Amino acid sequence: MIILEGQYYDGRRPTAVLARMEFTGREAILTSGRTSERYPVNRLNVSPRIGKTDRFIALPNGGQFQCADHVFLGSLLQVSPSEGPVAWLEERWGVALAGVALIACILLAGYFYGLPAAAERIAVRIPVETEQALGRQTLDWLDEQGWFLPTNLDKNTRESVKHGFDRLRSGLPLKNYYQLEFRASRIMGANAFALPGGAIVITDDMVKAAKSPEEVLAVLAHEIGHVELRHTLRSVLQNSVVAVAAAAITSDAASLSVAVAGLPVLVAQTKYSREFEAAADEYAFKLLKRKGYSTAAFASLMERLAKKHEQEERAFAYVSTHPVTAERVKRARAAAQE
Amino acid sequence: MPFCPNPDCDHRRRLGQSAEFLEGVAICSDCGSALSDTYLFFAAVRKPEEVRGWTCPQCGSINREDLALCSCGYDSNRPVMSDMRDTMTAPNPIESFLLRDKEAQEQQRVLALEFRGSAREYFRIWIVNLCLTFLTLGVFSAWAKVRKKRYFYSHTTLDGTPFQYLGQPVPIFKGRVIAAIAFIAYYLSSHFFTSLLPYVFAAGAVLAPWVIVRSAAFNARYSAFRNMTFHFDGGYLDALKALYVLGIIPLFAQGMMFNWWGKYAIAAVAVIVLSFAFPWWMKRLKNFLISRTSYGNKNGVFSATGGQFFSVYFRSGLIMVGVLIITGIFSAAMIALITKKSQIIVLLTLIPIYAGYVLAFAYVQAHSSNLVWNNTRLGPLRFQSTLRGRGMAGLYVTNALAIIASLGLLIPWAVMRTLKYRADRMRVLQEGELAEFQGSDLSAVEAIGAETVDFFDMDLSL
Repeated sequence: MIILEGQYYDGRRPTAVLARMEFTGREAILTSGRTSERYPVNRLNVSPRIGKTDRFIALPNGGQFQCADHVFLGSLLQVSPSEGPVAWLEERWGVALAGVALIACILLAGYFYGLPAAAERIAVRIPVETEQALGRQTLDWLDEQGWFLPTNLDKNTRESVKHGFDRLRSGLPLKNYYQLEFRASRIMGANAFALPGGAIVITDDMVKAAKSPEEVLAVLAHEIGHVELRHTLRSVLQNSVVAVAAAAITSDAASLSVAVAGLPVLVAQTKYSREFEAAADEYAFKLLKRKGYSTAAFASLMERLAKKHEQEERAFAYVSTHPVTAERVKRARAAAQE
Repeated sequence: MPFCPNPDCDHRRRLGQSAEFLEGVAICSDCGSALSDTYLFFAAVRKPEEVRGWTCPQCGSINREDLALCSCGYDSNRPVMSDMRDTMTAPNPIESFLLRDKEAQEQQRVLALEFRGSAREYFRIWIVNLCLTFLTLGVFSAWAKVRKKRYFYSHTTLDGTPFQYLGQPVPIFKGRVIAAIAFIAYYLSSHFFTSLLPYVFAAGAVLAPWVIVRSAAFNARYSAFRNMTFHFDGGYLDALKALYVLGIIPLFAQGMMFNWWGKYAIAAVAVIVLSFAFPWWMKRLKNFLISRTSYGNKNGVFSATGGQFFSVYFRSGLIMVGVLIITGIFSAAMIALITKKSQIIVLLTLIPIYAGYVLAFAYVQAHSSNLVWNNTRLGPLRFQSTLRGRGMAGLYVTNALAIIASLGLLIPWAVMRTLKYRADRMRVLQEGELAEFQGSDLSAVEAIGAETVDFFDMDLSL
C-alpha cells in the first residue's frame, strides 16, 4: 500500500486542506479531516513531472490532490503522456552534456557546411523570374528616394561599356536576364550593384574612376558573378536561418536577445557576405580570362579605390560585408599570373 | 465588577487578562459568555493550542509557520536586520497594540510569493528542449514552450502552493504554425510582392484583436492556482474597441511616417502625436486585459490612469535625452581635441548612448510593471511591485555579459535570477478571505485534456 501526504483542493474555493491518499490495488482513498472518498485508480489523472516539484492528481469529482513527486505516480494515467520521456531526459546531466555537444556540432556543421550547401541547392531550383519583381521595385525605390540620379555619361561611353558587358554575358546560363543600368549617385560614390533578378547598376563615378575599359569590365564581371551564383537569394536564405537559429537559442532571454546575439549574428552573416564577394571575385577572374581579358585590371582598380580608407578597413574586417581589399588584389594578381 | 470567565476569550488571548466590564453588563462583548463576578482563571491563562506558528518579536502578532514574513514587515529569515531596527526604535507596547488591532480589523496579511527555480535544474530542461527543437527543425518548440512554462509556474508559489500550467503542446504548435504563416506572408509581401503589402497590413489590423483575445483566453484558461483556473471573457469587439478607438490616432501617425523621408515637419508631428497618444492607448489595453481576466468569479480591477503611464515614458525619455546631451558634449570635446577624425570615435560615443538606452528601457520595464501591478486588484488581493530601473538595468547588463562570456550557456541562469528578482520585489496583500473566490464551471480543471481542445483553442503569443 502506498500512502501520499499532501493537500486537497475542492475546486470551489482556493483553500488548501491537508489530505492523504492511500492506494490499495485498484482503489485510491482520499482522507481529509473526517471525510474520506474512494476512487478507482484508473480514473485519476496525474500532471506531468517537471523538476522536483509537486505533482497534481485530478480526481473524478473535480477535486485535486497535490503531493510530492513519487515513483508510483508514473504508473497512473498521465494528463500529458508525451512529456514523460522528455522529463526523463531532463533529469540527467549526461543527457544535458550530450545536448551541449550536439547543439555545438549542429551549429558549427550547419553554419560552415550544411547551410551554404543547402542554400546553393535550393537557390538553383527557384527560377530567376521570382527575383525580378523585387529587383525592379528596389531600383524604382532607389530612384524615387534620390539615392540614384539619371546618368550624366555621354552616349559613346555608355555604348562602349554596354558592348563590353554584352560580350561578357554572351554564353552564360542566365544571359537573357541581364540588364545594365547607368546611374549617377552622390551618396554611393564609385560603386556597382547586382540587384535581384539580373539588373546590374554601375555609377558614373565608377566608370570615371576606371582608367581603362578593362577595369570597368572587371567590375561588371564581379557583379555578373553575384547574379550567376544566385547570391541574393542565397544570402536571404542563409541569413534568415542564422537569424532564426539565434532567436531560437536566445528566446528565453528575449529582452536581451539583440544585446547578446546582435554582434555574433552580424559576424556570422557578414562572413557569408564576404564569402559571396570572394566567390564573385573568383567567378569574375575565370570569366575575364575566358573572354580574353586580364585580371590585373581588377587589382589596379581595387587598389586605387581602397587607398582612402585602408586603416579602418582592417579594424572592421570581421563585421565588413566585403573581404579586405589587399587580399582581393593579391588573388586577382595571382589569377593574372596563372 | 463582572469579569469574563472564558479562558479562550479573544480579549484574554490578546492581552493575557480576562476582560473586565462595568456593573450591569451581563455578557462579554468579545466572546459572548455570561460574565462572572469573580476574576477567574487568572493564573491559568491558556495558550491557544490550535494556532501553530511563531510570534513576531517586533509586533507580537502570531504568524503561521509557513510564512516567513510578518505583516509588520519583520522577516524571520533575516532576523538580524529586523532586530537591529527593533532596538533602534524601541517598541511602545500601547502603540504596537493599537497597530495590531487596526491590522486585525483590516484583516490584511501578506501572502508569500516565492520563485524557487534553480539554475542547474533549469539548465537541463533548457538544453534538452533546445536540442530536441533543433533536431526536429522547430516542430518540438511547442513542447519546449510547455515544458518551460510548466517549470516557471510550478516553481512560483503563492502562500506555499505552486501555480500550475495546464497548456498542451498541440494548440501551441497550431498557434506557432499560424504565426509562421503570417510571418512568411508578411516577409514575402514586404520583400517580393510589395503590391500586396497594404492587404497584408489590413488583414493584420483586422486579425490583431482576435490574436490578443485568443492568446489572453488561452493563457488564462491554462493557468491554475489551487485547482481553479483563470478565465478571460473579452470578445473580439471589445478588443477592437480597446485597440483602435483611441489607437486610431497613433495608427494614423504611423501611417504618415511611411512617407516621412524628406518631410521632417510631418515626421515631427507624427512622433509627437504618437508619443502623447501611446500612454493612454497602453492604459486602455492593460485595462481591457486585466478587467476581463477573472479568477473564481472575481474580475480584475485596474485603476491606473493614462497620465501615470505618460509619466513613466516621459521620465525614461528624460533619461535618454540626458545621456544624449552628456555624450554630445563629451564627443564634441573629443573631436575638438583629437584632430584626426576616425570612425573609432563614432563607435566610442555609441557606448554611452547604448548604456543610456539600456537604462531608459529598464526604467520603462520596471516602472510600467510596477504601475500595472500596484493598480490592480483581484477580489481580496492587492499587489505591491517595487521593481527599480537601476536594479533591472544591472540585471540586464550582468546577464548579457554572462551570456556572452559563456557562449549562451548561462541563459538559463539569467532567466532564473530575473524571475527570482521579480518575485522578490512583489508582495501579494490579502484583505479579506480567499474564500471570496468561488469556483464554477468556468474555473474547472477537470475537462482539460488534449482531446477536448477545440480548433480555435490556440496560443498565439510567442
